[in-house]
Amino acid sequence: MSICQDLGLNFQHRMGANISQLERDIGSEQFPPNEHYFGLVNFGNTCYSNSVLQALYFCRPFREKVLEYKAKNKRTKETLLTCLADLFYSIATQKKKVGSIAPKKFIARLRKEKEEFDNYMQQDAHEFLNFLINHINEIILAERNQSTLKVQKNAQGENVTCNGTSAPSAEPTWVHEIFQGTLTSETRCLNCETVSSKDEHFFDLQVDVGQNTSITHCLKCFSDTETLCNDNKFKCDNCSSYQEAQKRMRVKKLPLILALHLKRFKYMEQYNRHIKVSHRVVFPLELRLFNTSDDAVNPDRLYDLVAVVVHCGSGPNRGHYISIVKSHGFWLLFDDDMVDKIDASAIEDFYGLTSDIQKSSETGYILFYQSRDASC
Amino acid sequence: MGTMRKKTQVSFVIRDEEERRHKNGVSSLQLDPIQGRLYSAGRDGIIRVWHTGNGVQDRYIQSMEHHTDWVNDIVLCCGGKNLISASSDTTVKVWNAPKGFCMSTLRTHKDYVRTLAYAKDKEQVASAGLDRAIFLWDVNTLTALTASNNTVTTSSLVGNKESIYSLAMNPPGTILVSGSTEKVLRVWDPRNCSRLMKLKGHADNVKALVVSRDGTQCVSGSSDGTIKLWSLSQQRCVSTIRVHSEAVWALLATENFTHIISGGRDRLVIITELRNPDNFMIVCEETAPILKLCFTADQTGIWVSTSESDIRCWKLPPLNSLDMYNQNNYNTNNVYQTQPLHHIPGGPAIKHYTVLNDKRHVLTKDTANNVALYDVLKASKLEDLGEVDYEEEVKKRFKMVYVPNWFNVDLKTGMLTIHLGQDETDCLSAWVSAKEAGLTTENDQKVNFGALLLQALLDHWNHPNRVNETGVRVIGNSYFNVPLHTPLIFSEVGGRTLYRLQVGDAGGETEGNLLVETVPSWVVDVAIEMAAPKLNKLPFYLLPHSSCQSKQDRQKKDRLVANDFIQCRKVAEHVVEKIVGGGDVNGASAGSGRGSANEDSGNDAPEERVELLCCDQVLDPNMDLRTVRHFIWKSNVEFTLHYRVLKQ
Repeated sequence: MSICQDLGLNFQHRMGANISQLERDIGSEQFPPNEHYFGLVNFGNTCYSNSVLQALYFCRPFREKVLEYKAKNKRTKETLLTCLADLFYSIATQKKKVGSIAPKKFIARLRKEKEEFDNYMQQDAHEFLNFLINHINEIILAERNQSTLKVQKNAQGENVTCNGTSAPSAEPTWVHEIFQGTLTSETRCLNCETVSSKDEHFFDLQVDVGQNTSITHCLKCFSDTETLCNDNKFKCDNCSSYQEAQKRMRVKKLPLILALHLKRFKYMEQYNRHIKVSHRVVFPLELRLFNTSDDAVNPDRLYDLVAVVVHCGSGPNRGHYISIVKSHGFWLLFDDDMVDKIDASAIEDFYGLTSDIQKSSETGYILFYQSRDASC
Repeated sequence: MGTMRKKTQVSFVIRDEEERRHKNGVSSLQLDPIQGRLYSAGRDGIIRVWHTGNGVQDRYIQSMEHHTDWVNDIVLCCGGKNLISASSDTTVKVWNAPKGFCMSTLRTHKDYVRTLAYAKDKEQVASAGLDRAIFLWDVNTLTALTASNNTVTTSSLVGNKESIYSLAMNPPGTILVSGSTEKVLRVWDPRNCSRLMKLKGHADNVKALVVSRDGTQCVSGSSDGTIKLWSLSQQRCVSTIRVHSEAVWALLATENFTHIISGGRDRLVIITELRNPDNFMIVCEETAPILKLCFTADQTGIWVSTSESDIRCWKLPPLNSLDMYNQNNYNTNNVYQTQPLHHIPGGPAIKHYTVLNDKRHVLTKDTANNVALYDVLKASKLEDLGEVDYEEEVKKRFKMVYVPNWFNVDLKTGMLTIHLGQDETDCLSAWVSAKEAGLTTENDQKVNFGALLLQALLDHWNHPNRVNETGVRVIGNSYFNVPLHTPLIFSEVGGRTLYRLQVGDAGGETEGNLLVETVPSWVVDVAIEMAAPKLNKLPFYLLPHSSCQSKQDRQKKDRLVANDFIQCRKVAEHVVEKIVGGGDVNGASAGSGRGSANEDSGNDAPEERVELLCCDQVLDPNMDLRTVRHFIWKSNVEFTLHYRVLKQ
């Protein structure tokens, strides 16, 4: 908490120097046309939101859809999505190349939408991301239902009852198209050896972290076989009884943008609170998934790292969030209102710590991988 | 009583007195070559004994019943005098084989006992299962156990890290091998319980094992689809036999260990020459995955059991002519035999059930698509409906009536096992009208399903408190009896069986003593002491309907509490008397289910003066409150009824 406020005090005189420094670092020749690098002002512990918003802004398919939404929906009532669209639009249409912006309207709306965020406490960036993605998706679905309701009314007069479960909801939204993947859980009864499988959708994958490992290893563990035994046996339909079973989760449909949440906040019973796990987990710039199911739709997708939300500090309710993003081939670090160009090699600094002695760390927390076939 | 003791569950099985056919898969087979008897271990929990002689019409001899879950394995020992069985009820049982009664029960295992191994020369049996433990038993000690001398020492072989699915010992008892989900074979010397080796090579669970007589060779069958021949002296895999397309679950070696007969998930029985695995032949194709193979007395045929209830005997090809048959392509299907020598038909297993809304009748469908109707309250089958449309029959029997759950149905044995609710709140929640339940034609009395059934199940128990002040035996259930053969089971909730007996045997002294130890006190209260179970109270709000214009009614929001089985008529009576103010005063009031409703002789019935509504739907005066809440209000909170005065 203290970190954010300290930064807030300092930003005014550092801002001016920084902006020009960033432009100088990139070089006016190299500065990508139609691109803007704007920091986001912290309203008191809103770095959880700032870091996620920056990461999402540099997930190009997402940014484009949000701006498209802005263009299509001129005069709708204010929602979190319209606030987000306004914010993205204002960044994208700035005259200056660099600077900072205050996401005032967005934060105000967020605090109205969800009680948990209506305070000045540090929040979990992943919880925020999860809420934002789901909430935006619901807004789109609700708006779509309303428009079909209007259409139906026009067609059939006034005797229309629409309960929201009408067919159009089954159609994926652009949020689905960008973030949604499918997991399939396969359970094999150890008695009759029949495999039953069940599919479920996800917007992000949450993986456990191990010391001195890689994302690929974490994903492998995620898909490791779990044996259901003892008091936790599997009720096998074929055997009509409880039997031991082996269960594993694998990816069946790979999303366009794969959001990976590293479960770095672990509940420790002996302390009765969450403790940060700073383990060193290497995340590559290029990623392929190996934990795909045999019937996976697109198992060969090659992903590029495009953004990382980084947690700095020692626990979930303290510390600070920043993000690093890739834009036009170079890497930038967004720390609230400050933006710096960093060397790709500096990403290593966010892998985590090999020793468990140090309490505080700057570690990758949410990784955004974009499928290479998406950037066309 | 320890505070950590798990709750005791009361269960029973609805079945015929004599079940002459297996009702589920058959996990294991043992032949008594001297008597010509075949023992089969059923997943219906019953071990059956069959004549194997030629030309016998009815092969059934008897059933050995005491297990309460799948019997997973059996071994016949002491020259056919005794049988040892292993079950998913976590027990190992010792039987008098010729007479078919259970001599003792070993409760050392903590999870399903999956497999047994037998060292004939030493009369030693090993048992193992999902608790990862292997116990070694001296059969002569086991058969000498009595009620007073019932302690038995056992050696255990430790080191297994995962659930054990297969075991084998050689006849002299010098080698014991176990197979588990660990995918390795672990080898012990049972004489000193020392670990000898661990053999790696399989890619999945090891489900079948045989060891050669001298203990130098071992054959394993795995869920990875392969059969492996191991040299135990060299501690290595000698060959891998790939004749099956799916998991291998059953193995049988010929006497001199030259050939292996195998079966499994692909339903094929295959005989393979061990030293020359290219030389194999499909003996037969079964109709379901194969669970066990067992030689006939002359070893020219094999008995085969599967996950279905039929047992068949198939002729084996002459061992020296496998290659000849292979070359001659003996028939189009490449299967040696298409017709079995013998067939012991099994019965169908119940696969589906629906508890009807009256929470008393259960509709079932079995593997032969037969639909049947059961009465749980009387522990009996009411009607065989034959091969009719199951969904249609369920739909046909739909009644808009809500009765709380008081039991669960379990189909693990292929027969109907009923688990009563785990405690007094669960089990004794269903109060109904005795008249509507067809138990009496007299004045409307309320009865409790769970209490009635417990009384009937324990009716024969001569509990010391069962006599009244005048010394006369109190009859628990005056409405009906349950069949005397009904198996009554007491077990830890979701776990180990504590005691099983037949309802009619509860009168015996030994049984009575065991019941005193086992039956939970709340069951004694209800079934013996005849304590009345608690009534279920249902809170609700009673408001005038918006169409009612009366001003003073507007402010009233009465919060009332009534028994959940109260009919809307009673609530209407309450409205007439207490709120609207009727001309007559009769004794009935909402809140008391007891006492009969006074039939008004001259005046209009209350339901004709006041109508009740829920969610703007006018309610049938005969409908009870819990049904209204379940089907119309559809929520557990703020249950609200409205009334509308029809005439003052």
